[in-house]
Amino acid sequence: MSTAATLDRPRLRRNPVVRALLSTWGARLTSYVAFLVAWQLLAWYVDRVPEPWETFDFIWREISGGSHGGVRPGEFWEHFSATLGRFSIGLSIGFVVGTVLGIALGSSMFLRALLSDMLLVLLALPAIIWAFLTTMWFGLGWEAPVYTVILSAAPFVAVNVAQGVRSVSPDLHRMSEAYGVPRNRRMRSLLLPAVTGYLFTGLRFGVIISWNAVLLAEWFGAVDGVGWRARLWYDAARYRGFLGWAIIFIAFIFLLDGLVLSPLQRRAFRWRKSAAADVETEGLGGFDAEELSTMGL
Amino acid sequence: MILDQFTLPGPVKVWQAIWEILKSGAFFDDFQISITKTFMGFGIAALFGVPIGFLMGRTGYWKAFFHDGVVGAGSVPGIVYAIMALVIFGIGFQGPVLAVGLISMPFIALNVAEGIEGVDQDLVRMSSAYGRNERQVLRHVTAPSILPFVFAGVRLSFAIAWKVEALTEVFGSSNGVGFQIRFAFQGFSITRVLAWTLMFIFVLLVIERILAVLERRLFRWRTWEQAA
Amino acid sequence: MATLQITNLTKSFPAHSKGGQPTRAIQGISFEMSGQVFVSLVGPSGCGKSTLLNIVSGVDTPSSGTVAVTQDSQKAKLGYVFQDPRLLPWRTVMQNMLYVTDLSEEEGRVNARRYLEMVGLDHAEDMFPGQLSGGMQQRVGIARAFSVDPDLLLMDEPFSHLDAITARSLREELQSMWNATKKTVLFVTHDVMEAVQLSDRIITLAHGGTVFDDVAVDLPFPRKASDPDFATHQAEILARFETMEAERAEKAG
Repeated sequence: MSTAATLDRPRLRRNPVVRALLSTWGARLTSYVAFLVAWQLLAWYVDRVPEPWETFDFIWREISGGSHGGVRPGEFWEHFSATLGRFSIGLSIGFVVGTVLGIALGSSMFLRALLSDMLLVLLALPAIIWAFLTTMWFGLGWEAPVYTVILSAAPFVAVNVAQGVRSVSPDLHRMSEAYGVPRNRRMRSLLLPAVTGYLFTGLRFGVIISWNAVLLAEWFGAVDGVGWRARLWYDAARYRGFLGWAIIFIAFIFLLDGLVLSPLQRRAFRWRKSAAADVETEGLGGFDAEELSTMGL
Repeated sequence: MILDQFTLPGPVKVWQAIWEILKSGAFFDDFQISITKTFMGFGIAALFGVPIGFLMGRTGYWKAFFHDGVVGAGSVPGIVYAIMALVIFGIGFQGPVLAVGLISMPFIALNVAEGIEGVDQDLVRMSSAYGRNERQVLRHVTAPSILPFVFAGVRLSFAIAWKVEALTEVFGSSNGVGFQIRFAFQGFSITRVLAWTLMFIFVLLVIERILAVLERRLFRWRTWEQAA
Repeated sequence: MATLQITNLTKSFPAHSKGGQPTRAIQGISFEMSGQVFVSLVGPSGCGKSTLLNIVSGVDTPSSGTVAVTQDSQKAKLGYVFQDPRLLPWRTVMQNMLYVTDLSEEEGRVNARRYLEMVGLDHAEDMFPGQLSGGMQQRVGIARAFSVDPDLLLMDEPFSHLDAITARSLREELQSMWNATKKTVLFVTHDVMEAVQLSDRIITLAHGGTVFDDVAVDLPFPRKASDPDFATHQAEILARFETMEAERAEKAG
């Protein structure tokens, strides 16, 4: 990777302000400023797009319980906690189901042959379909979001876990068989450490998919929660409300992933240098080339 | 909650519905529209993703500048894109196209960046030893190096792009697969929702397979290279 | 045919870490060569021979001293054969040959075929490098270097990554090509026997980048390893090589 010769004039290069601007942090900051400027320009150009300032103002009022000028005062925690609850329950169940399924698929060639096509179909099913189906089945309430989350997340978790189980080299298996290592010790020392990394990847993707799914499901089939609240504002044509909630929603997952999950995953993958590199190059919704190709089976 | 015949139609019913849709020609009309929008979106994603990836791969400054934006663009929930597209463009084809473009662009940009960083410097040195100029190096060394990555980016992001496209249509289109699915939902017809969904998935898998085959043929030299 | 003139060349690389010593790769080398000569640079690893080649080819610049590569008082055209073939894997053999030349497409093809024939690979012109063995790829690399009709041909241990049998047959091919085309060749190797077989002048570099020895090899071409004269020459040069190694060991120990 070559570094472009940005400024040849040594005097300018020594200027501390210029150096700060050209640093990594300077670049990131500049990109955020550029984004805000672009947003503002778009808002001026297109009537219905809310402006940055009014959007942030909305977010502040909503969180702090302030009034929105007669529409409905901020009820932030009530809705956020409802969504968080559904998200957690759905994710936990989906994760457990997915892990069990993944282990089964990873260990048994028979099951793999039997179920891999169905798994492919389940992976390809968009969350919106689950949102529709569960709403049609269970009506408006908490069920639709929770089941949508489970159904969306479980296949992805399963695929990652299956990959993890299969990654344990058959040589190691044969070695432990030859030494007569008992089953549970094999599970603990051989299988589990190798799978842990993949479990984490599965968890991370599961989190993102679940979070997006719960928003979608609540939009159509709930009576409270983040998705429902976002829809309220949208239906009222108060787009700053919609965008504000969307930002709250995205910000939460960024924080969760960046502060909790990513560091945890890096630690879990410490022994696999290349995999850790994969983690770093990809962001939240992104799939690494290798991972997806195996996910596509 | 009992799953009886009304809540989960049997495969026969669903297959009949699929057959109806195929016969009416709606399948070809709507899918053609949706696929066109998806690939138009890819065009936009490549248009922006390749230069951005190129810059990111070459300079630390641009890598830092674009990183958060690129990763962020790929992390925005599809529904947010769908709504914003609706808000900005109303009901039309631009919304889905732009949504696909925005969500696929990160794949392409990051893959191009990885491709640039992976350009074999030995080949670049060989080129300068033989007096090749920058344009020739770009055309014969750099571009072929990153093309497989770009293609991989397209192939891998297709599933997500296809889903986002349909989702955007659910919210704000008057044609396409997504529109049909919303229509079925509003008509409370689980059968038709399932029928359109299965067709949607079928098309997804078929196109992915086609792209995979295409990739293998275009980059035959890679398999030999890796085997050697 | 070109003239290569090196005068008081030194090359240092900056220290790896702060406060460390800079690496002195070359500490004063001077020699001259011109005409149809095959000169080998021999030496242990770390003696600066690859660095020297990089400087001659222009990839690297000297810290001090001059390097002049001329052909009739003009800048000479260079050909370069590397340790690894460095072929573009996504282009066919013929396309690789055409990549390095400035001739028109038609002329380029005719020219390329001529040299591919010399290395026995004219049938492979539409194959990809990945489909060829290591030895075949290297032969393409050699054909490519010859095909640009260079005034000075630089070769950096081109056979060191090949198995002994392939290397031997490639050496013979190289020798006959050189006889047929009258090029000035600067050949870097760590293999003394290879140098004795191919060159009419052997320059030995010592560890640290100085010229230790400069000896002519007066055997007629083509040379056979089974020839007793060959063995004598080789023994002589090896003996001097061993002296150099012994001196170095003394200084170090």
